[in-house]
Amino acid sequence: MKRRYSAVLGVAALIATLSAQAHDPSEHKATDQKPDCAAINTMDHSKMDPNDPVMLAMMRKCKDSMETEASHGMHADDHHGAAKK
Amino acid sequence: MKWVRVVLLSGLVVAGAATGFVYSGLYPMGADNPHNPLTYKVLETLRERSIARASADLEVPNLDNPELLLSGGPDYNEMCASCHLQPGKSQSDMSLGLYPAPPNLSEFHGEENDSHDHGDKAQAASRQFWIIKHGIKASGMPAWGKTHDDNRIWAMVAFLQKLPDLTSVQYQILTARGDGASDHH
Repeated sequence: MKRRYSAVLGVAALIATLSAQAHDPSEHKATDQKPDCAAINTMDHSKMDPNDPVMLAMMRKCKDSMETEASHGMHADDHHGAAKK
Repeated sequence: MKWVRVVLLSGLVVAGAATGFVYSGLYPMGADNPHNPLTYKVLETLRERSIARASADLEVPNLDNPELLLSGGPDYNEMCASCHLQPGKSQSDMSLGLYPAPPNLSEFHGEENDSHDHGDKAQAASRQFWIIKHGIKASGMPAWGKTHDDNRIWAMVAFLQKLPDLTSVQYQILTARGDGASDHH
């Protein structure tokens, strides 16, 4: 009998915990969508204000992607350089 | 003392008529049947005056913080965009079906509606914060303050300040939950 009560209480506690987390930002990750960071390269950089919060936010969001691309570029240069030698 | 009796009797008649109207079920309650202009104006004024009074003393934090945009953007996209739309979208099932129609916040420049006295930018931000936090009765606007703390709501307000000027591409980047790390190696 005690076990049955424990099980019921356990399930109730689990449901309560899950409902409390329902609005945690991590819960929204179910709809994960990647930012289209490649699109930044197609923008007119001469018209960008480096102090614009929107621009800064986009740069922060795409930092990893841009670093990866830059390192790929360097590797590609290395390969080209090596090929030329 | 005759006039007192007349006033009391008139009051009773008006109260009786109002009660009778309420119980008659004659008022059209469907969201596809708009209020008459007078009722709409009265309810709109009631709403705007109430929000202006309640939000008057709010202190607005610095909203020009990129981190706030990165936090508020995804929340807006998941919680608000289906009704209040996004760049490149002029209508949705929700924006067409709700009454009163939710404002298109991606098109809002300056004041949300020039006919209202929302005052300066800080006042508009306070107003948005209050509405997001407390919701609006019988409008479909929920009180997000029951499940979201003030910091998170201010982040949404910060995003709203920039939203009308965002392009579709900027919107997509700022509202995506995932990080920007590319998958290809």
